[in-house]
Amino acid sequence: MDDVLQIGSRSNRSQPVDTGTPQPLIQFKDITKAYPGRIAVKDIDLTINEGEFVSIVGQSGVGKTTLIKLLIKLEPPSKGEIYVAGRNLADLRDNEVPFYRRKIGVVFQDFKLLPQKTVWENVAFALEVCGYSQTDIIKRTDKVLDLVNLSRRRDSYPNELSGGEHQRAAIARALVHSPKILIADEPTGNLDPVNTWEIVDLLYRINQKGTTIILATHNRQVVDRIQRRVILMKSGKIVSDQRGGKYVI
Amino acid sequence: MNQQTISRIIRLGYTNFWRNRWLTLGATLLMALTLTMISVSLLMSFVIRDTAQTIRSKIDLTIYFRDDTVTDQKITDLETRINEITGVVSSHFVNKQEALAIFDRLPINEDIKAPLSNDNNPLPRSIQISTSNPDNIQTVIASVERADSEAIICSDCVSYAKNKATVDQLLSITRSVQIAGIILSVLFGLIAVFNVMNIIRITIISRSDEIEIMRYVGASNAFVRGPFVVEGVLYGVLGTVFTTLLLLIISFLATRFFHGAGALSGSAITILGVNLFTYVLNHLLTLILAQLVLGLVLGIFVSLFSLRRYLRA
Repeated sequence: MDDVLQIGSRSNRSQPVDTGTPQPLIQFKDITKAYPGRIAVKDIDLTINEGEFVSIVGQSGVGKTTLIKLLIKLEPPSKGEIYVAGRNLADLRDNEVPFYRRKIGVVFQDFKLLPQKTVWENVAFALEVCGYSQTDIIKRTDKVLDLVNLSRRRDSYPNELSGGEHQRAAIARALVHSPKILIADEPTGNLDPVNTWEIVDLLYRINQKGTTIILATHNRQVVDRIQRRVILMKSGKIVSDQRGGKYVI
Repeated sequence: MNQQTISRIIRLGYTNFWRNRWLTLGATLLMALTLTMISVSLLMSFVIRDTAQTIRSKIDLTIYFRDDTVTDQKITDLETRINEITGVVSSHFVNKQEALAIFDRLPINEDIKAPLSNDNNPLPRSIQISTSNPDNIQTVIASVERADSEAIICSDCVSYAKNKATVDQLLSITRSVQIAGIILSVLFGLIAVFNVMNIIRITIISRSDEIEIMRYVGASNAFVRGPFVVEGVLYGVLGTVFTTLLLLIISFLATRFFHGAGALSGSAITILGVNLFTYVLNHLLTLILAQLVLGLVLGIFVSLFSLRRYLRA
């Protein structure tokens, strides 16, 4: 199952970010996605290199979430091709898609935690469905909960958590199978400023360890604080793409 | 898929089943209702089939001999000829002593039996003939009448014709009842099947979030389906258990009630020589198997069918 995608290797995961010759990890080539009666994204050309921290910004409904859905192959593009680690997503067979998704962690604005499971069980669930052994599950889950600073709340249920803890649990679940790419779709959308900084800080630390991060947000302060690559979208199109950029409309 | 994954799937399915116990109780009861409908119709068709068969096998022909002037030799000759007629399964010669013994066993007043003895025995000798099909009786009668009509008490042959009309009527009624029963049970069965389908779909819709999350974290389609299949199996198995218990209780109570009331003796409840409860017991294995197969097919198939739209890539 590991050869579905050969994204990076352990050695270049620890490589410093933004140095050397970056490898294109994700390529959108002339992507258009149309739904009945409306075009969500149009003529997108975008290359994201390994280890980058990319913020996709723009108001609600400009197509940020559509790009993410296309990237995790929840939906096929109407036109164009998406390559991840050199492989065309259109070529992935249906039974390969789950294994592809295991290489990508996704975090949502509404967390999507299972309410009947504890924090620990929610995180472990991601490994269970992928067939990890019980010892591996315990080791990885404990480690990732430690990383997001939630070890204390491991036995709490989602409804007992604060917004920030919720989102950290969701990030822990997205990270637990060591994905090469972490996608966060408005992860701070439901959070107060303090929790927002916590999450941004966490994403930053994760990126430092070599994980490519794609952050979709409409929060100006978040983007300005990160000071990394910013892609601005408007009505389904990319209107600017700046490195070390700010959120300028 | 390794053993660990399979045990996780079974555990997940069981947990889901238990966590949504009200919804699953509804699904299980509806499944039981469906299976009851089908079992009852199955049972009914068994009973009707067996009743019809019993009735048909009870139609036989007895030829009585007019008086003692006919020699036993002549009767034996006739019996041999009768046995050569196609459709005759067996024949049995009843002499005067045997006729008296049969008469003595009849459940009638002893005062009526008392005057008869071996010395005073007006009962005629007879040949009892069974045919493979009641329709063959007419052929037998025709050929016997042609052979030696003088020796035969023909009034009985005429009375047979009357019986035949009644029996034919009875058989045609059982056929109508059978058809009506099949139509009704198919109708009720369909309604129940649709209900089971709907409730299983509701359980799946109520867990669409969970399915979505499973897909996001990279669960294979087989892993997503697995727990629902386990649940489908549980619906089928528990439905069968409920239905079997229900059938046993109902048939037991019905048998007791009808026996207690003394009514309907000789009706379908006891017409086969056994009571309904015993009848159900005798056919229990067939019933359980039929229920299990139907319940499993329904539970698993509906689950998988309803999941399809959630698993499209």
